[in-house]
Amino acid sequence: MDLLSNLALGFATAATLYNLTYCFVGVFLGTFIGVLPGVGPLAAVAMLLPVSFYLPPETALVMLAGVYYGAEYGGSIASILLNIPGTPSASVTCLDGYPMARDGRAGVALFSTAIASFFGAIFGVVVMVLLSPALAEFALLFGPAEYFAVMVLGLVAASVVSTSGAMRGVMMVCLGILLGTVGVDINSGETRFVAGMPELRDGVSLVVVAMGLFGISEVMVSARGATRSYATERISMSNFFPTRSEWLRSIGPALRGSSVGSFFGTLPGTGQTVASFVGYALEKRISPRGDKFGTGQIEGVVVPESANNAAAQTAFIPTLTLGIPGSTTMALMLGALMIHGITPGPRLISEHPELFWGLIVSFLFGNLFLLVLNIPLIGLWVRLLRVPHYFLYPTVVVLICVGVYSIDNSIFDIWMTLAFGVLGYVLRLFRFEPAPLLIGFVLGPMMEEFFRRAMLLSRGDPMVFLERPGSAALLGVAGVLLLATAVPRRLYPWNRAT
Amino acid sequence: MHRDRLISQIGPALMLLVGLAFVIGSVTTLELGSARRMGPGAFPALVGGLLSVLALITLVRNFRYPMGWDRPDPISVAAVAGGVAAFAFLTPLLGVLPAVIVSVLTTASAVPQFRWPGRIVLAFCVAGAVWLVFVKGLGIPLPTIRGF
Repeated sequence: MDLLSNLALGFATAATLYNLTYCFVGVFLGTFIGVLPGVGPLAAVAMLLPVSFYLPPETALVMLAGVYYGAEYGGSIASILLNIPGTPSASVTCLDGYPMARDGRAGVALFSTAIASFFGAIFGVVVMVLLSPALAEFALLFGPAEYFAVMVLGLVAASVVSTSGAMRGVMMVCLGILLGTVGVDINSGETRFVAGMPELRDGVSLVVVAMGLFGISEVMVSARGATRSYATERISMSNFFPTRSEWLRSIGPALRGSSVGSFFGTLPGTGQTVASFVGYALEKRISPRGDKFGTGQIEGVVVPESANNAAAQTAFIPTLTLGIPGSTTMALMLGALMIHGITPGPRLISEHPELFWGLIVSFLFGNLFLLVLNIPLIGLWVRLLRVPHYFLYPTVVVLICVGVYSIDNSIFDIWMTLAFGVLGYVLRLFRFEPAPLLIGFVLGPMMEEFFRRAMLLSRGDPMVFLERPGSAALLGVAGVLLLATAVPRRLYPWNRAT
Repeated sequence: MHRDRLISQIGPALMLLVGLAFVIGSVTTLELGSARRMGPGAFPALVGGLLSVLALITLVRNFRYPMGWDRPDPISVAAVAGGVAAFAFLTPLLGVLPAVIVSVLTTASAVPQFRWPGRIVLAFCVAGAVWLVFVKGLGIPLPTIRGF
């Protein structure tokens, strides 16, 4: 049995003490970051990127992935206790989680969150195991034109979810692609746009861009807003266990939430936040108790948590099988792979099976660790929320500096990080979100490569992108997405009726 | 109101400048090649052109429906940028650990409620943690202290 031998290989890779330790470190740090509002999983993964250079590729990915899905668990803790989502995807959990906490049922809410998260994550992992090899095999049929089209679709999807409009998102993507062209052109060997700085010959480092745009500029935005600690009220946590009827009531919602989450996780650009919103909205409509949602119903925390954790796992499917990151954090994971010299794409599973299957099995271990970390250690996380927030920001700034410096002992990189920090800050002031820029930056060089190859194969005829059915369909979807956002919201049929 | 509208144009205008800079840079300094064999300048010129067009459209639309903008917080920017700059200046002179301490103290000055004793304790704790994690734990060769 193929699947079994693959999973056995995964166990052999993931179950070493070394990898288990880094998996634990990853999920622990992830929960820590997720609990604290203000620092997201993205910044955490960016800060750990330099450290991951010193690890073997599979260990690096296991740890970074642990930070990422660990933050999904942690994010719900602040949602429930303080009504402040620790991560954006946990904002739906506030709706019913916080009312539960106010009723003195915080313990039950946190416990069911942990169980629902675990359930959703395992569901997502199973989907990933079943779907990824087939998808990768299918993607082997892709030529350069299809690859280019998939990337365009991914980038368009990443820009249409931008809150300040698709137009600004696409502009940020373009800016990211342009930044990615800095350095030596691999086809001709010519240097491009280095402005006389020899340090730029190898291009702008991904770590520098990510740390500047998401670390430094984030701290600039939020450093002075946080003058006190968040947790002020005492929370009673006498009881953890849901009642028997609550257990029974949660099974259906958990299954539906996980399915919705698994689906949205695989789509580029949507991710966990959309998954949890859609899951909640769907459940509210079909549940017989839907009208009571928002008053502290257990289904209201089970659905979003199972959805966002399932989505967190299935987001790896397009990233690892197609090489298309659905979100900014996934773009960083791809970047980490590329730094280790591994080309993401449909050949990844067959060329690096130990990496792919090891990562999958590490998800199982990581989620078990999270269950253990979350249920008995809830008290610790609650205490963490009482630490004044201003301790955090100087620490983050220093960790960014040391992290960037540790890669090459290069002071130039530190100045570049500062420059990207200021750039990110200015762009945010004018309502340009930095997330699409980073995805464009990661995908840009690959896009150029495929574009040039497709044009070479078609003897310079750009119609090749529309003549091949696969790429035409993908570009068509991208076009429809863009057009849909160009229509003003008030013209949507469901908005006109009201 | 009028001033707000003008400031709101800075964002798209910056984008237009960047797009044009890449187009001009590719056309003047790099080879464009042919459609079949594209030179190193072709792709950046295309993307730069797309960015310029989109920025121009946004600029024009923004005159009629100006997008809002947020007021900058100069103290916060100065403190954080100062912290990074302190690290960049002091690391070659004194080594990483003294640079970390000065950097924490500089960044912490953004928040007046954060008193000096607390800042100093945090600075030394962070320096200790950096030494433990990066130098001892991960074995990364960093110049810890220089010039003494």
